[in-house]
Amino acid sequence: MPRKSMSELALQHYLAVGAIMFVIGLIGFMTRRNLIIIFLCTELMFQGVAINLIAFGRYWGNLHGQAFVIFVLVIAAAEASLALGLVVLLFRQKSTLDANVWRELRG
Amino acid sequence: MIGLISYALGVAVAAPRTGGLVSAGLLLVLSLAGAVGMILLLPGGRDTPLRKIGGAVLLALLLVLAALLGKTAAGVGFYFWIFSAIALVGAVRVITHTKPVYSALYFVLTVMASAGLFVLMWAEFMAAALVLIYAGAILVTYVFVIMLASEAHEGGAGGTGAETDLDHDAVSREPILASAAGFALLGVLLFVIFDKPSFSRAADSMSARSASAKVAPDISPANQPVMQGGTQQLGAYLFDHQVINLELAGLILTIAMVGAIVIARRGVWRSGEALREMGETLVAPATPIDDNPHSIPVVGTDNPRQKAYPET
Amino acid sequence: MHDLFAVKYSWLIPLLPLIGAAISGLLGAKWLKQKSHWPIWLGVGASAVMSLILLFGMLHIWSDPRLNAGQNELATNVHWFNWINVGSFSSEAGAWIDPLTAVMLCVVTVIGFFITVFSAGYMRGEAGYFRFFAYLGLFIFMMTCLVMGNNLLMLYLGWEGVGLSSYLLIGYYYERPSAREAAKKAFLVNRIGDFGFGLGIMACYYAFGTITYFSGTSAHNGLLELATANNLAAYQETARQWIPFLLMIGAFGKSAQFPLYVWLPDAMEGPTPVSALIHAATMVTAGIYMIVRCGTLFVGNAAAMWTIAAIGAFTALFAATIALRQFDLKKVFAYSTISQLGFMFVGVGCLAPVAGVFHLITHAFFKALLFLSSGVVMHAMAGELDFRKFSGLKRVLPKTRKLMLTGCLALAGFPFLSGFFSKDEIIAAAWERNRFLGVVMLFTAFLTAYYTFRLYFRTFEGPEVIPPPPPPGAPTVDAGQTHHAGAHDDAHAHDHGHGEGHHHNHEPRIMIIPLVVLAIGALLAGYINWPEKMAEHGLADFLGYSPSVAQTYHLAVNRGHEHVDPMAFGQTGIAEAMDHLDPSRHESTGRMHFYLMLASGLIAFTGIYLAYLMHLKYRDEADKLAARHPLVIRVLEHKYWVDEIYQAAIVEPLRAIGRMCVAIDTYVIDGIIWIISFVPQAGGFALKLSTQRGYLQGYAVTMVMGVVIILLFVFL
Repeated sequence: MPRKSMSELALQHYLAVGAIMFVIGLIGFMTRRNLIIIFLCTELMFQGVAINLIAFGRYWGNLHGQAFVIFVLVIAAAEASLALGLVVLLFRQKSTLDANVWRELRG
Repeated sequence: MIGLISYALGVAVAAPRTGGLVSAGLLLVLSLAGAVGMILLLPGGRDTPLRKIGGAVLLALLLVLAALLGKTAAGVGFYFWIFSAIALVGAVRVITHTKPVYSALYFVLTVMASAGLFVLMWAEFMAAALVLIYAGAILVTYVFVIMLASEAHEGGAGGTGAETDLDHDAVSREPILASAAGFALLGVLLFVIFDKPSFSRAADSMSARSASAKVAPDISPANQPVMQGGTQQLGAYLFDHQVINLELAGLILTIAMVGAIVIARRGVWRSGEALREMGETLVAPATPIDDNPHSIPVVGTDNPRQKAYPET
Repeated sequence: MHDLFAVKYSWLIPLLPLIGAAISGLLGAKWLKQKSHWPIWLGVGASAVMSLILLFGMLHIWSDPRLNAGQNELATNVHWFNWINVGSFSSEAGAWIDPLTAVMLCVVTVIGFFITVFSAGYMRGEAGYFRFFAYLGLFIFMMTCLVMGNNLLMLYLGWEGVGLSSYLLIGYYYERPSAREAAKKAFLVNRIGDFGFGLGIMACYYAFGTITYFSGTSAHNGLLELATANNLAAYQETARQWIPFLLMIGAFGKSAQFPLYVWLPDAMEGPTPVSALIHAATMVTAGIYMIVRCGTLFVGNAAAMWTIAAIGAFTALFAATIALRQFDLKKVFAYSTISQLGFMFVGVGCLAPVAGVFHLITHAFFKALLFLSSGVVMHAMAGELDFRKFSGLKRVLPKTRKLMLTGCLALAGFPFLSGFFSKDEIIAAAWERNRFLGVVMLFTAFLTAYYTFRLYFRTFEGPEVIPPPPPPGAPTVDAGQTHHAGAHDDAHAHDHGHGEGHHHNHEPRIMIIPLVVLAIGALLAGYINWPEKMAEHGLADFLGYSPSVAQTYHLAVNRGHEHVDPMAFGQTGIAEAMDHLDPSRHESTGRMHFYLMLASGLIAFTGIYLAYLMHLKYRDEADKLAARHPLVIRVLEHKYWVDEIYQAAIVEPLRAIGRMCVAIDTYVIDGIIWIISFVPQAGGFALKLSTQRGYLQGYAVTMVMGVVIILLFVFL
């Protein structure tokens, strides 16, 4: 089955979706206080970026975008495993998942 | 923030750009409205009607944007609208739901919808990988950790702990500032995306650069060969051109695994007071669990710097 | 000359002590410990042997009757390596070996060797044993560089190097504040002299374009050869007027002449062997060596020569009067050293460099002997050196008494001992130049004899008084803590207190043997240049083969100085020729020398007899007599208040300026800086309170805002 490359207009649609998803994740990252949800929001941002990358790859008709997304997924998985381990440690220390409890960076 | 908005307003008014898909002024208005809707929707211990109004506003804005885009009759099909709507609504629910487990489940929904979008873009392998890795592996871990945490909470700290838990999930921090910043960013991003001149400029400069370099072949879409057998080609591409990166990715995953194990097994220092409060339920093991003496917990001293093997 | 073994390997002479110093300095603290003297013994000993081989090799050539005085056959330039090449300036490291060098080398290394031997006994058990010997080795290295170097830069290297060693050794007991102060004082006072000296060297390079003494070739374009030229440019003439005065300042600093002498008495804070080696025998004579070596730069300027002679004479008299009323053995000898150095300056200033160098040699022997003997006394008296506290030590220290007596006789100018001959030559030279100068020198010689034997009679003769040993349990190593300041407000050089544990043997052999050798030197060293017949084939003639001395003579004659005695420059051939032409001249000078010799002999006797009367026979009456003249006594005991005058006139104003600078720095400059730093600090504090609140997500918000602003700027 022949695959056409994407039009510029269609690309813009996908980019818009990716951008909106990225920003939603960003807002979540900034507003939620549960450490686990904060990390979930970073995954959301990864999603937005992944959509953008794939759309661009489709637009240019090559595989760079998809390859890139594979590596993004790898980093996301690694980050998730480590982050969740850290969250568990933090939780054990103060018995709460509230990110505002950790204020050691206060000047 | 006010200065920023006024700056953006001024620029949007002062720069009459044509040819964009959505005009800058309209984008500004949409962003402002979106910010207001998001502020209302974010959990703040407020009444539910307000949150519902916020949700309605956001939904309406999505529809408006969809209508603005759909008007152009681009080559995107029906499924695009469906999947995007599901994905975005799910994403909004992820960040607005007060119960972490539900947030995680909404995230699964978003991932599924994104996989649908991937399929629309002829990236079947990526769609499958997304579902497998995100919905299958990562999300399960998240849910698992959420359950672990809430269970330990209920078991360990009694009534007060549950309340604080509800608190920090039910009240978002600085929703106004965060929404403003986020939607300002969104406005700028969408403006960049829909700003045809700048978009074309980028493409022009890219092809010009490749033409001047004369190393890479012309990569403008018209000259690209038609893709066939996406997954197979992707595999060939990865192992032809990205072998080292692929190996590095494997290495990173291995390191992350080792790191996760080390972190998870590491003991946690607790003050004597906290230990007494906890009573019998000692979360950290009392015996040295790794070889680094500096990370070994100390029992019976309040000084975290005073590292030693525990007395008993 | 070139193929002499010692000339070929002349670089070994400075290098061996340096290697010894490096070994004992680097390995001494951990491994060698109380054996640290061995590398220095071996290094300095080998260096002394090399120097003697060199001297005897040259003496062999010298004794050859075919030797031609005009051909510089006893001088050679030895190239070691290229040292500095900067632009048009280049300097090699190399040796200029001539009779003057050989004689100086032997004095430095041989006396240095015996003093290191003595030190091994004297310093035994000290905590800083290795340090002491490493410094000694460094000193010998620097001193040999100083006397061997073939250019002014090498001389300057050695000059500063011996200053450094001197500083380190004076401050050897750095736990003691007085030693630290003395070290600082020596260093700073020498700085003044060295500044002048450095300027002098620069002026030499500026005027003559080279700092190498002699080219060693037929080109004769070395500095000292160029200085003899008659057709100099105007700026060179000007420079030649100034160079002697600049170099002279350096010589006065290093050789402790008025007004820069004040550091030397305080330098007695160092261990006694150091006082003997550095502050009596060798380092302080560097100024005389330098003036003799650079004679052609000096002799062209009559005013400079007169200045040297006048300052020397004044210092000799001045220091001798101070020595009259000092009670500390080492202090007496310190002032005596200053006085004798004054004698040497008078010698070189009165156009008699041979006499100056001759006195330098004899003085090195007997003054080293005297210092080391007083070290033995100090050792025995548990660090006590004040001869009001002890008396009649001849039973306790019989050998030391004899040795000290030898040294005292030599210093006092007792007939037919070394000091007699050398001092007499200087007095004769001074007398010939100016009668008044001669009288002053004779009077100073009288004072010398008096104060020397005052010390001797007080210490070794009369009723036996031995100071009570310090209470048991008092610290034994650092006697400076046990010492109680008596009537003296001076800081004593009580560097030694470990003698009290073994009163049975005050005179260990390792300390006595070097003294015996030095005593033999003090007895016989005078005969290398006496009597007249001997002198014609002795030191004078030998030194006359040094181009420095010979060319100075010719220049002095050219410049029309009066009474230029060729014998005083070792030009025996010329002297004989002149005697041949004018037999009466020989007769008259011979007669004058005889009468002067008689006079100085009598004066020495008188001084000794007066000291005998005042300090042995009628000791109590003399003390009463002294008590009746409190003014004179006070003036002398306070050393004319020179230190106090310097303190008030130089140190205090400088200190006031320093305090003012500190105040300006603290209040004005620091204040401005504080104000400048306060503004951003306050802003930062406000920002810290308002923005840096520790919320991770707050930082994320800030970051997003930054990203938005950047994107706006990029895309709008």
